[in-house]
Amino acid sequence: MTARGATISRGHRTGRRLRPGVRVAIYAALIVTSILMIGPFYWTFATSFKPAGDVFAAPPKLIPNPWTLQNYRDVFTLLPFQRYFINSVIVTSAIVGLNVVFDTAAAYAFAKLRFPGRNLLFFMLLITLMVPFQVNLIPLYRIMVLLHQVSPLLGVDTYSGIVLPGMIQVFGIFLMRQFLTSIPDEILESARVDGASEFRILRSVIFPIAKPAMATLAIFTFLGAWNDFLWPNIVINSDTMRTLPVGLALLAFRNTISVGPTMSGTVLTSAPMILIFLLMQRRFIEGLTAGSVKG
Amino acid sequence: MSDAIALPRRRVRGRFRKVLPAYALIAPAIVSSIVFLYIPIAFSGYWSFTKYNGLASPKWVGLQNYTDLLSDPRFLKALLNTVIFVILGMGIGPVLGLMSALLLNQAVRGRGFFRTAYFLPVMTSLVVVATIWKVLLNQHGIVNELLGVVGIPAHNWLGDPSTALVSVTVTSIWQGFGFETVVFLAALQSIPSDLYDAALVDGATAWQRFRYVTLPALRPTIAFVFIIGIIGSFQVYDQIFVMTSGGPLNSTRTVVFDLVDRFDSLKYGEASAVAYVLLVILATLSFIQMRLFEERA
Repeated sequence: MTARGATISRGHRTGRRLRPGVRVAIYAALIVTSILMIGPFYWTFATSFKPAGDVFAAPPKLIPNPWTLQNYRDVFTLLPFQRYFINSVIVTSAIVGLNVVFDTAAAYAFAKLRFPGRNLLFFMLLITLMVPFQVNLIPLYRIMVLLHQVSPLLGVDTYSGIVLPGMIQVFGIFLMRQFLTSIPDEILESARVDGASEFRILRSVIFPIAKPAMATLAIFTFLGAWNDFLWPNIVINSDTMRTLPVGLALLAFRNTISVGPTMSGTVLTSAPMILIFLLMQRRFIEGLTAGSVKG
Repeated sequence: MSDAIALPRRRVRGRFRKVLPAYALIAPAIVSSIVFLYIPIAFSGYWSFTKYNGLASPKWVGLQNYTDLLSDPRFLKALLNTVIFVILGMGIGPVLGLMSALLLNQAVRGRGFFRTAYFLPVMTSLVVVATIWKVLLNQHGIVNELLGVVGIPAHNWLGDPSTALVSVTVTSIWQGFGFETVVFLAALQSIPSDLYDAALVDGATAWQRFRYVTLPALRPTIAFVFIIGIIGSFQVYDQIFVMTSGGPLNSTRTVVFDLVDRFDSLKYGEASAVAYVLLVILATLSFIQMRLFEERA
């Protein structure tokens, strides 16, 4: 073990062993707060199996008894939820795929190739990070209306309408460029000497090396796209084109009296994300905190 | 001699071969940022000086939209609500995040489990979180039931103008502080333990170690967390839409909610002016953030 490794692994502890009283207090605080964090999720899950009369029963029923699947049947008759799930999958996959390819391609050029205007163009991209998305909302909507007039397959109320504004993220380019800069030039030079084109290098050299960074970018993008609400809610008008969060918001909005179906809709909307998160936690945490720890 | 002539030529061809693919690689990014960023930013700016409803062509009115906003009680209320949301959220969220990170940084078993618990809401859609809390905070919901146990009477948290904004803010803190926990935890674990050993040798108390070792080491992380948090909080919208729709009596109307509301009622000029007010506020904050980043690099 290197001295550096030792230092870092001991860094978890701040000095002496804890006194037993302190230790109990720490665990108590951690357990109570964890219940506060997980409790609402559990309550939603449990409520989604309760018959209508039990939802606000006093005293509250921690375990649904009797339990029913009626809320799940209801949510599919109230709204085409299975369709929303497919919509979310399609839109999110498209946004993630486009970002991983195009952000990495642009990042490679900005990190490793020399061309006139490189710094200026990169600066012009970076400066847009200061502009909040909401500023572009109305013009983007107008652009999508125009696109829809050009072709009914494009723009407002289509998948492309949701996907196009998010097909490339400047932050993604920035993130990938940080990573690609660390790749030694010699590898690229030897590929060039072998006669590989820049596209070939991107595909056969950069993509394999950059896989971990691309995974982080993919997860970061996936979270944003899957959870996005404001833009899909504006660009979609028809009943069948909504994504899950838009459908759920509508459900919560309409059903203020019968809460059961809203709860089952909540479970259906969040379950896929929670499952993927539990399976790939480390990557998720890296993805969402990307760029924050090491500036 | 022939070499001397051939060389520059090959160099020019070589440069060309290098330059063209580079432009091809960045072309999608450049085109999309022109169409979906630069053009919208320009039009938004132009429309903010016009009366425009999306149908008739925009009519130039100069600064009128901006002066109207400054005397529009709905917009001023939205601005005030947003500032309260940001101050309250940023006053509590990062402190909770730091406290939980400090707890997790002790040699505790099950650190992974607790970290997952805190982080779970962070990756959940805000619409989901807002829907859950809307039901929890219902007049007959579990929150009132539990408060009833300690003798606090049931309250319509989201229906009362005096508690709606606080309720939405608490929901947002609950959703977001796990992010700060994870960021702070990573930063804490990168503080070299030599510093703590040295402090111990000097006889520093736990508080002194925190005050003179931990806090200074966390300074850049704290700055990062606050700037990112403030910028994000200023754009609060999803929770408002789901939980209160800006009500009751505009008590939870925020800047972005105000923007979308004006957009929905086809007041594109006014909405664009709101957008530019937001832009100025957030660009200023981003500028500060970039300066902080440069300082660290």
